[in-house]
Amino acid sequence: MKTTLKLFTFLMVVFSFLACSDDDGDAVSEFTVTTISPESGTVGTEIRITGTDFPSDASNISVSFNGIPATVTSVSTTEIVTTVPSGATSGQIEISANGFRKTSAATFTVLSNLVSDTVSNLEAPQTGGQGQPIGGPFTKFSFETGAVTDSETDWDIAFRGTTIAVNGGTATGTNEEPTRNGNGGATVQNGIFSDITSADGLSFDQDAAGSFAVPAGSGEGWYNYNPATFTVTPIPGRILVFRTHDGKFAKVEIISYYRDAPAEPDAFLNESRVYTFNYVYNPNEGETALE
Amino acid sequence: MSLNKNNLTLIFFTLYLTFTIGQVEERRDSILTQDLEEVVVTATRTVRQLSSLPLPVTLIPKTQLEQTGVTRLDEILNEQTGIIMTPDATVGGGEGVQIQGIASDYVLVLIDGVPVVGRSSGNLDLSRFAIGNIKQIEVVKGPSSSLFGSEALGGVINIITEKPSSENISGQLSHRMATFNHHNSNFSINQRKEDLGYSFFVDRLSTDGYDLASGDVGQTVNPFDNYTLSGRLFYDASEKLDFFVSGRFFHQDFDVAPSTSMEQDLNLLVRANHDPSSKTNLQYELYYTNYITDEESLDILTDEVLLANDFNQKLFRPEVRFNQKFGENTFTLGVGGNLETLQRNLFANNVSFFSQYVFSQYDFTPLEGLNVIAGIRFDNHSEYNSQLSPKLSARYEISPSLAVKGSVGSGFKAPDFRQLYLDFTNASGGGYSVFGKEVEAQGIQRLQENGEIANLAVNPAQLGQRLNAESSIGYNLGMTLKSGKLTTEVNLFRNDFTNLIDTQILASKTNGQNVFGYINRERVYTQGLETDIKFNGIKNLSLSGGYQLLFAYDKDQEDALVQGNVFARDPETLQTVRLERSQYFGLENRSRHTFNFKVFYEIPKWDANANLRVVYRSKFGLTDRNGNDLLDDFDNSFVDGYSLVNLSLGKTLFKHYQLQLGANNLLDFKGSNPLALQDNEVLINPGIQLFTRLNITF
Repeated sequence: MKTTLKLFTFLMVVFSFLACSDDDGDAVSEFTVTTISPESGTVGTEIRITGTDFPSDASNISVSFNGIPATVTSVSTTEIVTTVPSGATSGQIEISANGFRKTSAATFTVLSNLVSDTVSNLEAPQTGGQGQPIGGPFTKFSFETGAVTDSETDWDIAFRGTTIAVNGGTATGTNEEPTRNGNGGATVQNGIFSDITSADGLSFDQDAAGSFAVPAGSGEGWYNYNPATFTVTPIPGRILVFRTHDGKFAKVEIISYYRDAPAEPDAFLNESRVYTFNYVYNPNEGETALE
Repeated sequence: MSLNKNNLTLIFFTLYLTFTIGQVEERRDSILTQDLEEVVVTATRTVRQLSSLPLPVTLIPKTQLEQTGVTRLDEILNEQTGIIMTPDATVGGGEGVQIQGIASDYVLVLIDGVPVVGRSSGNLDLSRFAIGNIKQIEVVKGPSSSLFGSEALGGVINIITEKPSSENISGQLSHRMATFNHHNSNFSINQRKEDLGYSFFVDRLSTDGYDLASGDVGQTVNPFDNYTLSGRLFYDASEKLDFFVSGRFFHQDFDVAPSTSMEQDLNLLVRANHDPSSKTNLQYELYYTNYITDEESLDILTDEVLLANDFNQKLFRPEVRFNQKFGENTFTLGVGGNLETLQRNLFANNVSFFSQYVFSQYDFTPLEGLNVIAGIRFDNHSEYNSQLSPKLSARYEISPSLAVKGSVGSGFKAPDFRQLYLDFTNASGGGYSVFGKEVEAQGIQRLQENGEIANLAVNPAQLGQRLNAESSIGYNLGMTLKSGKLTTEVNLFRNDFTNLIDTQILASKTNGQNVFGYINRERVYTQGLETDIKFNGIKNLSLSGGYQLLFAYDKDQEDALVQGNVFARDPETLQTVRLERSQYFGLENRSRHTFNFKVFYEIPKWDANANLRVVYRSKFGLTDRNGNDLLDDFDNSFVDGYSLVNLSLGKTLFKHYQLQLGANNLLDFKGSNPLALQDNEVLINPGIQLFTRLNITF
C-alpha cells in the first residue's frame, strides 16, 4: 500500500515536471551558488553546494575539484551533494549545469587523510633509577614521519623509561633531556580512543621546570606501577592528545611498555621500556579533527 | 554507700576497696543461668531471650564449640550463616571476619562485653582468641553503635566466658594434635564455693605453619607458638552486690629468625554489679587493655634491619550502666570514657585520645506481642567530629509460630591512629610517603623545605582538614516461622556506608614517587538476604542450613559506570574499552552466594557424637588488576567458588575421657590464587588438616 502510494506520488511528480517542461521548455534560468560547505575536506568528504535553480536531474550537472570531476550523489533545485574525488587537489570548484558554468569564489582545500597507525616496540632505555640518578638520551618520535628521529628540531614527543617529553616548553631539569624548540604540548584525556574526535577546545600543557606535560609518576599520567608484580601498565581510558612541534594534532593510546606487547607482562621475563602505541595524526595545518 | 555520679574515681575506688576487704553476704546465682531458654546479653546489654529479640543475632552455644573440636574463634565463626573469614590474599597471612558483606575493620569484637584492640591494617586476627572456658559466642548483625560506639557497624561479636557453678573443683585438661605439627594443650579449673568463685585457663598452641606459595622464600604462615592465660574471680559481697574480676594475657612469637615478630595482648576487667532493689541494677566497670606488637625484619645475609614496626596501644575505659525496670519495660543509661594511647615507631609522636560517651535505651512493650527497643548514643571525641548514633528496632509476634522483626540503626568507626598520625616514608620501597590527617600539613611542609616535592596535587588550604568518622545506616527486616520441629528465619538487610576513608595522592615527589594522605570519600552499600533453617524432628539428630545472598557495590563507581567514565583494557587488543554496569563485579572479597549445612548426631548408647559441617562460598574477586580501581570482568583475579567440609567424631570413654578425631577441609581443597606470578602456584587453602584431641574432665 505504501509502495503504491509512493509510486503514485512519484509518477505525479514526474508528470507535473514533464507537463511543465512542455509549457516552458526552453526558458532555462541561470543557477546561483550561495554556499559551499565545508570549504575543506579529505578525499571522500561530502560537500554540499547550496543555491537556486539547479537542474533536478543529476546527469545535467557536472562538478569538478580543481579540474578533477566529482560524482554528484544527490540533487535538488537548491542543493547539490557531491564528494571530494580521489586525486583532487586544492583549488576552485567548478559547477556546470544547463549550459552555464560557475567557479567557486574561494579555494577549496583538499586535506590529507588522517594517519592512523600503530608504533610497535619503540625502545626507550634509561640509565640509573631505583635511587640512582636517571639518565640516558630520550628516544624522539615524529608524527609526521611516523618514526623515531634523530632530528634536533623535527621531533614531537620523546620517551625515556616511563617519562614522555614534548617538544614545547622549557627544560624540566632532568639529565640529558632534548632541547625543546617547537610549540608542542600535551593533555591527558579520559575516554576510549574513538571518543577523542577533535583537539578543538582542549588546553595543552608544556614541559616546564620540574614537571612534564604528561605527568610523571604512577597513577598520574599514563601508567600504573604495581609494586607487587613490578609491572607498568597503561591506565585504562587515558588518551594522550599532543600538539606537535609545528602545531598539528595527534592522539595516542599506549598499549604496552613491554616488548611485543604481551597481554600480561611479566616483569622478569618481558623486556620493559619498549613502547607499543596506537596513534591518529592529523597532518593538516590548523586542523583539529582526530577521528 | 553513697553514689556520687560526678566522681567516678571515688566510686571505683570505694567499690574496689569494698571488694578487697570483702564484706561478705550471700547472693543467689547469676540471672544468666535462671532461664533454660537461650539468652544473650550483647543485643541490649541486658539479659534477653534470644527468640524474643527484634534483631538478627547468631548464638554459638558451648556444645557446638565442644563437638566441632575447634580451638580458635575464626574457625567456628566461618561456619555461621552470613559470616565469612576472608583471607587477606593480596598480602598473605591474617584473616578477617566479614558480616553481611562488611569487612573486619567494621566489626567490633568483645570479650565479656569489653572491646579488644590491636588491629593490623584494620584487621583483627581472630585466631588470637583461644576457645576455652567459653559459655557461648554471640554475634549481633548490623550496626550497634547506639550501644557500643565506634567500630560496631557490621556487627558485634561477643565472647561470653563461663561462670563456675559447681561446689566441687571441676575442670579439664586437653591436648589436640593436627596437621602442620599443630599442638594445642589447655587446662582449666573452676570452682564455686558459697560466695566465691574462680576460674583459670591456660592454653598453649604451637604449629609449624604452612605455605601457600611454594615458589617463594618463606612461608605464608610462619611457625609460631602462643600462650593464653586467663583468670577470673567471682565474689558475691551481698545479695545485692557482686564483683567480677577478669584478666587475660596472650603472648605469641613467630619463628622467623633472624627476624623477630612478637604479639602480646593484656586485658583486665573489674566489674561490680549492684541491685539496690529488684527493679534497679547498676553496673560499674573498669577496663584496661594493652596490645603490643614488636616486629623487626632483618636481611638474611647482612642482618640489616629492613623494617622495624613497634606498636603499643593502650585503652583504659571506665563505664557505668544503670538499668531500671518498669514492669516489663527496661530503661538503660550508660556513661563512660575511653582513654587511648598509642606508641608506634612509624608515628611522629606518641598519640593519645580521650573520648566520652553517654548512651540510653528503652526496651518496652507498647502493645501485646509488640516489643520495641529505642536507643541512642553520643560520642564526643577530641580528634574527629562527634557522633550521634540512634537505633530503633521492633518485633511483633503475629502468632506463637510467626513473628516479624525490623531494625534501623546507625554505626560509625572513628578514624584510626594510622589515618590520623602516620608519618611514614618507605625507604626500601622506592621512597613513597604516607601522612595521617593530623600531620599531613607539617609533613608536606617538611618535604617542601627539603625540596622533595615536585607537584602538589591538592589545594594547600585543604591539608589537615578534619576527617569524619566512617558511618553507616543499617536496615534489617526479618521474620521467624516455627512449624513443628522446623524453624525458619529470613532476614533482609541493607547497609549504606558513607565517608569511608580512602587514600589520596597529596603530591608527587621529585623522585617520581607519591605522597599519600587520607580522605573521606567512598560510599558503598551491601544488601541481601540471609536465611537459616533448623530442623530437630529426628531424635538425636540436629540439622541446620543457612544461605546468604549478597550484593556489595561502591556507589560512586556505579555512578561513574552509568556516566560512561570507567574503562578497561581489552585483553586481546590491549585497547581501552568502556565498561558497562553489568561488567562491574562488586566489592573485593565478596561472594554472591554462601551456604552452610550442618549435621550433628548423638549416639547416646555409645556415648558418642558425630558432626559434619559444609561451608560454600561462590566466586569472588581479590583485587583490581587492570588499573581502573574496581573489580570488573576483565580483572584476572577471581577465585572460583569452593566448599570446605569439616568432620568431627567424638566418643566419651570411662565417663571422663573424651576422644575426638576429625578433619577440617576433608576434601583437601587447595584452590589456586589468580594473583600468583607466571609459572608459580599459590594455593587458597593449605589442604586437609587432620586432628585428634583427648580431653579429660574432672
